[in-house]
Amino acid sequence: MESLHQRVRLLWAGRSALGGLVLLGLAVVVDRFFVPLPLQVAVAGWVVLAALGAVHALFAHRIWRFSLEDDSLFLVRGVVTRTDTSVPYVRVQHVDTTRGPVERTAGLASVVVYTAGSRGADITIPGLRPDRATELRERLRDLAGESEATDAV
Amino acid sequence: MRRLHPLSGAVSVGRGLLQGAFFGVIAGTTLAGLLGLPAWTGPLMIPALALVLGGFALTRYYRFTYEIEGETLRVESGVFARQSREIPLGRIQNVDSRQGVLNRLLGLAVVAFETAGGNATEATLDAVDKGEAERLRRLVQRHGEARAEPETEASAVTGEAGDKPSPGPADDSPAHTDTQELFDFSMRDLLIYAVVSVRPAAPVLLLVGLPLGIDALLTVVRFNLGLVGGPTTVSLAVLDAFGPPRLVAFALLTALQFLLAALVLSVALTVVEYYDFRLVREGDDLRYERGLLRRYSGTIPLSKVQTISIRENVAMRRFGFATLVVETAGYNGGNGETGQGVAIPMAPREVVYGLARDIEPFGDLDFDRAPTRARRRYAARFAIVVGVLAAVGYAVDTVLLESGYWWLLLGLFVLVPPAAHLRWRHRGVTLDDDVLATRTGFWRQTTRVVPYYRVQTVFVGRSPFQRRRDLATVTADTASTSSIFGGAARAYDIDDERAAQLRDVLRERLYTDLLARKAGRDG
Repeated sequence: MESLHQRVRLLWAGRSALGGLVLLGLAVVVDRFFVPLPLQVAVAGWVVLAALGAVHALFAHRIWRFSLEDDSLFLVRGVVTRTDTSVPYVRVQHVDTTRGPVERTAGLASVVVYTAGSRGADITIPGLRPDRATELRERLRDLAGESEATDAV
Repeated sequence: MRRLHPLSGAVSVGRGLLQGAFFGVIAGTTLAGLLGLPAWTGPLMIPALALVLGGFALTRYYRFTYEIEGETLRVESGVFARQSREIPLGRIQNVDSRQGVLNRLLGLAVVAFETAGGNATEATLDAVDKGEAERLRRLVQRHGEARAEPETEASAVTGEAGDKPSPGPADDSPAHTDTQELFDFSMRDLLIYAVVSVRPAAPVLLLVGLPLGIDALLTVVRFNLGLVGGPTTVSLAVLDAFGPPRLVAFALLTALQFLLAALVLSVALTVVEYYDFRLVREGDDLRYERGLLRRYSGTIPLSKVQTISIRENVAMRRFGFATLVVETAGYNGGNGETGQGVAIPMAPREVVYGLARDIEPFGDLDFDRAPTRARRRYAARFAIVVGVLAAVGYAVDTVLLESGYWWLLLGLFVLVPPAAHLRWRHRGVTLDDDVLATRTGFWRQTTRVVPYYRVQTVFVGRSPFQRRRDLATVTADTASTSSIFGGAARAYDIDDERAAQLRDVLRERLYTDLLARKAGRDG
């Protein structure tokens, strides 16, 4: 089983802190122009949110595992509800690597695997080194080709 | 390339003219006043806008062409942004047609082609005459058969090579004589079905949808208040003036009326939806027709069925009836058409299982129940819900009502053990020779049958509460559409170890069954 790059923790923690910051900004705007709010409480709330996000990121990274097995891609993830997912290679429709602006600055990339299924039809493996992401995409493409989808849907 | 039926063009031009005139009236009155234009420009807006929209509709009609050429359906459309689309016939999952009231008078039908990709209907022909709709449907159907039977394909190929038109059924129109009536509804059965399958949410939806719905509701409430002898204004102060007995009488009366209204409306809606339901089998396709005001018909290719669901609610189970739903990958988005994919609205259970086995062979389903610790979990969950309800009741009572009867809610705890037992009893999973079957639901029991070779992704999920008891829920995703709304085949709360086994079995069987099918097709 392979785990994600360490830096993804920073990415996730940063993301939740940023999300909290947006909320905080909203609170400030409301305070300025509409109704006075207790801003100290809002700031404390943001700190708590960011801390929770960081803890969540730590756990998420510890739990996240994936591996390429004989006939399927296997993933373990989820802090609260833990989910094991197996995606048979026959069912892979196409594979993307994506690098968002934030991911790029962190030097990371994601691989997205698409199936024809309707629930969770796209499965994302985040926090990979770019070369590893490319390698994984090519490997998955080859595996999907080898298993030869006879009746993809 | 073919055009849509001229009458449908005329209808859409007429609609465009009317809409334009309507906008013209609005624009004429508001804009002229706002911009201070001279008074005579107001009336001029009406014909001007009518011409613009009518002309647009006319151009759109002339731009829209379609044709089935060889292996593909080609559709060209668009006035400003032109679009041309090609759909390989083999990728088409369903062909549906529907007729609104106007189209029925004109003898037209709207034909929709669904494929597995995308999130909307791939091509809609609005509208063609009935003969053309039939021709299109047969062309798609025949293509499916040519693929399914290698001999036909081979002979077609040699026919081409020998420069001779291939003889036999491939060219002449009515390819099918083997239509077989599978099911139809008599009026009596339809009424029974409508009563048994009551949808309590129906009147609420209808009331919200109607323009005066809320007013009608308030009128009824006022009438009830008058009946139990209170003031006829609707406000919270009424609650103070009432003693508990009158309050209970009022609540019971309203609830009764609501239930009656639900029954009547739901029956009416069901009758309108399923009037004159008919299911026939044509070769490898199922074909249904239904509807009183709007008439729906469609084909479901058996070779593309992803999941079979058998639904039985409490009342239907009591009398041995069931509903059969077949799902393909075709239908997209919840467009509110509840009847989609319904192969048999209601029939005796044996008939339903018979047809289901005909579509996808499976043996007697002998469901394994979850371990008994799952039942404890449900009991705990229901107890928490009742506890929260009682707490809310207590809060409302002390702050608002001050009746002192909030503890009556604690009586709901009596219901917790039987509810937990029933939920546990009606959940199960079984691995048959060729299919995975899951079952869940007491009020509306749903049995889902998924052939192994249709499984896409397998999820094993464990919430913190499940982890505490070593339980897991296994979800077998397929490409059928209803699984978007949480309708995938799920084995709830099975033992953690068994879940891992189940996942491995599903994965293994997916490959062996796919290979077997491939071998069957090639050999």
